[in-house]
Amino acid sequence: MSYLLTQLVNGVSLGLVLGLIAVGFVVVFKSTGVLNFAHGSVLLLGAYLVARLHPELGFWGALAAGVAGAALVAALINTLLVRRVAEHDPGVLAILTIGVDILLLTELTRQIGNDVLDIGAPWGASVVGAAGVSLPASRAIAAGTAVVLFAALGALAARTDWGLAMRAAAADPDTASLMGIRLSRTSAVGWGLAGALAAVAGVFLTSYPTPGVEPGVSVVAFAAIPAWVLGGFDSVPGAVAGGLVIGVAQALAIGYESELHFLGGGFGEVVPYAVMVLVLLLRPHGLFGQKEAIRV
Amino acid sequence: MTIRPLAAAALCLAALTACSTTDPDAGPGDGDGSGIRTGNGVTDSEIRIGVLTDLSGPFKAGAAVQVQEKKAYWAARSAQGGICDRKITMDVRDHGYNPQRAVSLYRSMAPDVVALQQVLGSPAVAAVLPLAEKDDLYVGGMGWASVALEYQVAQIPGTTYSIESANAVDYLVDTLKVPAGSTIGHVYFEGDFGGDSLAGAEHAAAARGLKIHPIKITPQDSDMSAQAAALERAGVKGVILGASPSQLSSLASVLASNGVDVPLIGNTPTFSPALLNTPAREGLLKNFYTVTSVAPYNGEGAAVKTAAEMFEKNAPDGTKGWEVPLAYGQSELLAEALEKACENGDLTPKGVVAAMHETSGLDTQGLFSGTLDYTKPGEPPTRKVFVSRADPEAPGGLKVLDTIEGPSALSYKFE
Repeated sequence: MSYLLTQLVNGVSLGLVLGLIAVGFVVVFKSTGVLNFAHGSVLLLGAYLVARLHPELGFWGALAAGVAGAALVAALINTLLVRRVAEHDPGVLAILTIGVDILLLTELTRQIGNDVLDIGAPWGASVVGAAGVSLPASRAIAAGTAVVLFAALGALAARTDWGLAMRAAAADPDTASLMGIRLSRTSAVGWGLAGALAAVAGVFLTSYPTPGVEPGVSVVAFAAIPAWVLGGFDSVPGAVAGGLVIGVAQALAIGYESELHFLGGGFGEVVPYAVMVLVLLLRPHGLFGQKEAIRV
Repeated sequence: MTIRPLAAAALCLAALTACSTTDPDAGPGDGDGSGIRTGNGVTDSEIRIGVLTDLSGPFKAGAAVQVQEKKAYWAARSAQGGICDRKITMDVRDHGYNPQRAVSLYRSMAPDVVALQQVLGSPAVAAVLPLAEKDDLYVGGMGWASVALEYQVAQIPGTTYSIESANAVDYLVDTLKVPAGSTIGHVYFEGDFGGDSLAGAEHAAAARGLKIHPIKITPQDSDMSAQAAALERAGVKGVILGASPSQLSSLASVLASNGVDVPLIGNTPTFSPALLNTPAREGLLKNFYTVTSVAPYNGEGAAVKTAAEMFEKNAPDGTKGWEVPLAYGQSELLAEALEKACENGDLTPKGVVAAMHETSGLDTQGLFSGTLDYTKPGEPPTRKVFVSRADPEAPGGLKVLDTIEGPSALSYKFE
């Protein structure tokens, strides 16, 4: 029983971190309609900045710098590249972000080299436990942070002028623009927010129990794509729920691999995608996705 | 009307290609009157060897260390009079861990070199080895997957991952006293590396009365929490790791903080000294061992010390790791083959491959475990391995404990 609980808790905590990444995908998609494949390298950039700067600035200073740096770079990708492309075709823009991802990742790989950089987090490798279930402190803090961030994001979207502008711009950019909402500003804020969330997720993904900052971390961001898709592309609660579903499914598939042997070894790797396909078969618009209303 | 010029053009082209197909083993000949047959990559004053490596992809840092050491080795060797009265030059190309690029680079460099001292990265190796086999071109430094034994042209630098793992199981039983009937975990990457490691461990476990609990992972998995919990649940008395330093770090730290105090034994590529600066440090120092056929940086042998001195002189700030003795050792292996080819009077690519297979009883002064024998096709040159432990005081982070050749390592059969 405690084994099942351990794996469940593990899955939930990982799922919340995946949710942070998936929400970034959603925010960018809602504010600019772009499938942002550069999200992984922005995440790595955030974690890299924290790892490089913590000896001088201390962990909290470095964290602030890393989050700000990732937010700034994400906003710049939008302002300097995405908004300048004449053809606002989602396909073209997605390919543009793949290009940005390759460039940024190559440079970060060059900087990091063969090293594994320590993130310098104060929680280190400590473990918290209760009722026979233990969890790395970093994951417990990650889960708490994610819940707080999701709540803050919900409040921002529902109760502030900025949230209203974002929602209006997402619903109908042309009309929103006519009503005096500056799309350049709402989209930059959307990208910046996604970058900041990615940096926070990056810090947790490179804390214990993973070794630290190394180029492969950017690939982990792609594990959040099934979460984003099954949540319904444009729904923040959907992305969070998607992250949880994927995190738990993956932890259980790995934890019970010996019982699931008839599915073949390494089933945990494909579980996110299997779950995504299954959910989309049952609910083509994802868990919380909006059906597109087409008026004839 | 259009067919005729086309056919003529095709004919011309065919004629041209026919003419341009030269025999790689027919070169300037015995221009210096020494009676030595030469071919691609060898002139009267120069022997040209190739290195196909990854200087811009995921393995660039370790690869750069190897290139530095090899350059230093051949420069020193040339300064001492070279081989066959010729100086040795290197043609280093970067495939960036891209097998397509490795193939086109191979095509462009193969006509100008007498041997490929190294092809780094398993996708590139898988792409290049069959081509080199067809061209009778020596390939060294291709990692330790058993698949290399299927190629006549490949000179594997030590033993295979399967033999490493079989020795690891023997070490667990004989030295670390894991009792019969216990279960040991095996965490591995699917493919030439991890799969080979698993095959050796499974053979040895069956022979020694142990059970294997295998867990397959991918290089992208860096959080081993779920795997660690599964190993704990299976009650493993030891874990063998056929993966990379990321997975070792995570697994060692999670097991340590969960209070699972069992030995972890890794294949050669699992360890990096950088891990001793991560949260895994305590767990590694307490429980990590590695089985390798190349000596660690801190190895005891005279040649390992020479390799380390050469490296520190040429790259004072370079990362000290097992790559240094490996690069030096590979150079010694190729130098041995070239010397023998020269003695045989056949310094063509084919002659170098033939000479390499005459190498037996080679003592590398501690660079590789045991003496090396390349005369038996389909067999590794040795079945001995070094067993080392993580050690913060040792340069390169590893200290040799023992050299072993366990009973299951000896009984393992290659198909």
